Amino acid sequence: MSALGGAAGGSEGFSSPIGVGVGVLLILVSLGMAYYFGQMATVIALIGIIVGGLLIGFGVHFVPVGGAPAAMGQSPGIATGVAMLAAGAGLAGLFGGAWAAEFGFAIALAAGAVGGALMMAITCFMVNVVYIFAMGVPSASGKVDKDPITGDTFPEYKSQGTEGHGLPFVSYVGGVVGGMMGGLGGTLIYIELLYVYEGVLPVMLDAGVEEIMPLAVSLAGIFAIGMFLVNAVIAAYNIGGTIEGPHDPKFARWPRAVIGAAVASAVCGIAAIMLVMV
Amino acid sequence: MENILFGIGITAVAGALATIAGAAEDTESDIGSQGDPNSQVQLAPQMGFIHRIYNKAISGEPPAYGLWCAIGAGVAWAFMAVQVNAILAIILGSLVATLVQGAYATTAYLGRTASLANFEQPVYIDLIRSVTTVTMAHAFVAIFTTVAMCYLMNTALGHPFPLPLLALVWGIALGAAGSATGNPFYGKERQYQEQPFGAGVSISASGTIVRYGEAGQRSSLDNGWFTSKMGGPASGICFGLIVFFELWRTVIFEHMAGGWGAVIVGVVLIFIFMALDRYIEVWARKTFGPYAKPEEAEATA
Amino acid sequence: MTVKMEASAGGIPHDTVMAYGLIGSLVGIYLTYLNVLSGTEIFSFFGGLAAIAALVWGANTIKHLCSYGLGTGVPSAGMIALGSGAIAMIFASRYGMLAPIVAVIVAGILGAIVGFVSNKIVNMNIPVMERSLTELSIVGAMSLMGFTAMLGGTFIFDEMVAGTSTFLGFVFADYGMSIIGGSTLAVTFMLAAIALQHPFNACLGPGEQQDRTLMLGAECGFLSMIPIALMSFAFISFASAVIALLVSVAGWCWTYVQFIELSKRDAYAWLDAKPIHEPKGGE
Repeated sequence: MSALGGAAGGSEGFSSPIGVGVGVLLILVSLGMAYYFGQMATVIALIGIIVGGLLIGFGVHFVPVGGAPAAMGQSPGIATGVAMLAAGAGLAGLFGGAWAAEFGFAIALAAGAVGGALMMAITCFMVNVVYIFAMGVPSASGKVDKDPITGDTFPEYKSQGTEGHGLPFVSYVGGVVGGMMGGLGGTLIYIELLYVYEGVLPVMLDAGVEEIMPLAVSLAGIFAIGMFLVNAVIAAYNIGGTIEGPHDPKFARWPRAVIGAAVASAVCGIAAIMLVMV
Repeated sequence: MENILFGIGITAVAGALATIAGAAEDTESDIGSQGDPNSQVQLAPQMGFIHRIYNKAISGEPPAYGLWCAIGAGVAWAFMAVQVNAILAIILGSLVATLVQGAYATTAYLGRTASLANFEQPVYIDLIRSVTTVTMAHAFVAIFTTVAMCYLMNTALGHPFPLPLLALVWGIALGAAGSATGNPFYGKERQYQEQPFGAGVSISASGTIVRYGEAGQRSSLDNGWFTSKMGGPASGICFGLIVFFELWRTVIFEHMAGGWGAVIVGVVLIFIFMALDRYIEVWARKTFGPYAKPEEAEATA
Repeated sequence: MTVKMEASAGGIPHDTVMAYGLIGSLVGIYLTYLNVLSGTEIFSFFGGLAAIAALVWGANTIKHLCSYGLGTGVPSAGMIALGSGAIAMIFASRYGMLAPIVAVIVAGILGAIVGFVSNKIVNMNIPVMERSLTELSIVGAMSLMGFTAMLGGTFIFDEMVAGTSTFLGFVFADYGMSIIGGSTLAVTFMLAAIALQHPFNACLGPGEQQDRTLMLGAECGFLSMIPIALMSFAFISFASAVIALLVSVAGWCWTYVQFIELSKRDAYAWLDAKPIHEPKGGE
C-alpha cells in the first residue's frame, strides 16, 4: 500500500545534532533506570533489546521493496509494503527462534536469523519466478548500471518508460540479509525479555517456572512483535517506503534509522522490563 | 524414530495446508484488488477511466491477514477453552473471521468509491453482492487452513507460542508471501493486459487499466479467474515452501550437531535457493535478451 | 503515479474530537470497574465502548497525520501506534485502579519519544508528527485496554494472568488459560490496529468527509467488539458475554447502516447492475 504515501517522506541529510544528543541521553537514562530498578543482568538484557531493535532498523534497509510501481513492473523490488514484508520475515524468524529457545542463547539466535533469511530466500525466489516466467521480464535495477555482486549490466535490460523491474541478484542478497537481521533482532528481543520474565515472574506470582512459562512466552512474544513493528515502521519512514537494496543511494540513510531504532527500543524495552520490576 | 515419523507427517500436512492458504489468499486479494495493485484501481477514475472493479483497500495484505488469522485462532482458542471440539472450534473461528473480513471489504469499497465522487465514479452496489461473497469464500479457505496449520504446530509439534500468537505470526507471513508473489502478476498481467507482454508497464500508461472483458464489462471475478492460474498457485508454493522447510529442518535436524543441525540445514537451503534464483536470472537475460539496441547499451553502460 | 492524499477541511475541530475521545475512553474503562463494585461481570461491554471512543479519536488523528506524505501507507501509522500503545498498556495494568491514567501517561511518553525520533532523528520534518504519534500511542493503549477489559472484565494485571482449566471435573489454576497466557492480547492488538487505520485508509480520496470517516471508525470499533464478545465466553459469565455480544451486534448494525447512508450521500451515483458510466468529455 505504499503507493498512497505521496512523493514526500524521508528527506536527505543527517539527523539534527540536538536530536541525536537527546536520543543518546534517553538511551543512557533507560540504562540507568534498568540498573536502578534491577541489577547488572537487567542492564545487559536492555542492551540486548537495544541491539535487537537496531538490527531490525538496519535490516529493513536491505529488504528490496518497490511498493505499488513494482506490481506493474515499473520499478524493481518486491511489490508490497516494506515494514510489513520485514515483519513477515522477522516474525517467521521469531517463530524459529522461539522454538529453539530451549537449546540456549546462541542456537536460538542463529535459528531466528536463519528462519528470517530462509523466508526471504524463498519469497524472493518465487518473486523472480513470477517476474521471469509469468511476466517475461528480466531483472534490471533502476538505481545502478551494474550489479555490484555479479557485474551484470542493467540499462539495456530495462523496458521503455520504467525505472527497471524484477529482482536483481544484489537485491536478492539484500533481501536475505535483511530477513536474517530481522529474524535475529526479533529473536534477540524475545529471548532477552523471556529470560527476564522467567527470572522474575515465579517470585512475583509465587509459582513454579513451568507454570508461568505460558505467561512469560506470551508477554515476551507480544512485546517482541510490538517493538518489531515500531522499529520497522521507523525504518520504513526513513527510506520513504521503497528501496532497492544495499546498492540503493537511499541505503546511505541507515545511520538515522539505527539511532532512531536504538532510542525507541531503549524506551520501549525499559517499559517492558519495568513491568515486572516495579 | 516414531517421533520423527510423526513429525514428518505433521510437517507434510502443515506444508500442504500452507500451500492451499497461499493460493486462496492471493486469489482472494486479487478478486478484491487488495494490496499494491489497488493503487491502480484507485488511480484509474482520476485519469478518466471509470470501472467496475472492486476496491478492497483494507490495508496491506500482511496486517489484514494477521488480523483475520488472529481472529480465527483467538475465537477458536476461546471455544476450545469452553470445551468445544477443536475442529469445530477452528471452523467457527474461521467463520467469524470471514464475516469480519466481509464487513471490512464492503466498507472499504463504499468508502473509497464514495470519496471518488469528484471523478464521476459511481458506486456499483451490485458489486458488493456478487464479489464480496466470493472473496469471503476464498478468505475462509485461507484462514481455516492457516489456523489449522497453527493448531498442528502448537499441539502436535509443541511450539511454545499459544495459538492466537502463532496465527498472528503466520498470518502476517502469509500476507507477506502472498502479496509479494502474487501482486505483480495481477498488477501487470491482468490490470494492464493490453500492454505488451515481456516488458514493464510504462509509467505514462499508469491508470489505463483494462475495464472491458472478452464480452461485456470486466468484473473483479474475472480477475480471480485469471490470477488463479498463475499468481495464486505461485503464492501457494511460496508460502507452502516457507512453512514446509521451516518445520522440516527443525523437526528432523533439531537434535543433530548439538542443536546446530537445523541452523546448518537452513543455511544450506538458503544457498540452494540463492543458486536457483541466480540460475533463472541468467536464463532470463540470455533467453529474453536486452530491450535496447547494442549501441545504445554501450553508450549508457 | 501516486494517489493524492487529500483530507477534507471543516467538520468538528480535532481538539474537540480528542477531548471527547480521551474522556470517553477513560470513563468507559472505569465503568468496567463496576464489575468489581457490583461483583458481577455484566459491565464488561463498557470496555468496548471505551475503545470505540478512542478509535474514533484515532481515526481523526490519522487523517491529520497522513494528509502529510509519510512515504509509506496509512496502515503503518496504526501499527506503530499499537506497537507502542501495547507496551504502555500492559505496563500500566500493574497499577490497579490507576491503570487507565497510568496508561495514558506512559503511552503519551512513549509516543512523544517515537514521534521525536521520527521527526528529529529520522528527519521526517512533519509539523504534526510528535503530537500525532503521542495521540496515536494513547489511542493504541486505551483501545487495547478497553478491548481487554471487555474480554476479561478487568484491566488489572494480576487478574489478566489468572486463569483456570478443568480436568476430570476439578478446577486447576492454569496461567496458560488466562488473557495474557493465552495470547488473546495478540487478537485485541490486531483488531485495534486495523480498526484504527481502516477508517481513513478506506475513505481517503478527494471526497473524504469527516462525518463519514468517523462513522466508519465507530463501525470498525463495533465490528471488532463482535469477535471479542465471542472470545469473552471463555473468561466471563455466560450472561455477561451474551449482553456484550448483543450490544456489539446492535451497535454494529446501526453504525453500518449509517455508514452506508453517508456513502450514499457522498457517492457520485448509486447504481445497481448498471454498465460503466463514461464521463462526458472523457474518452
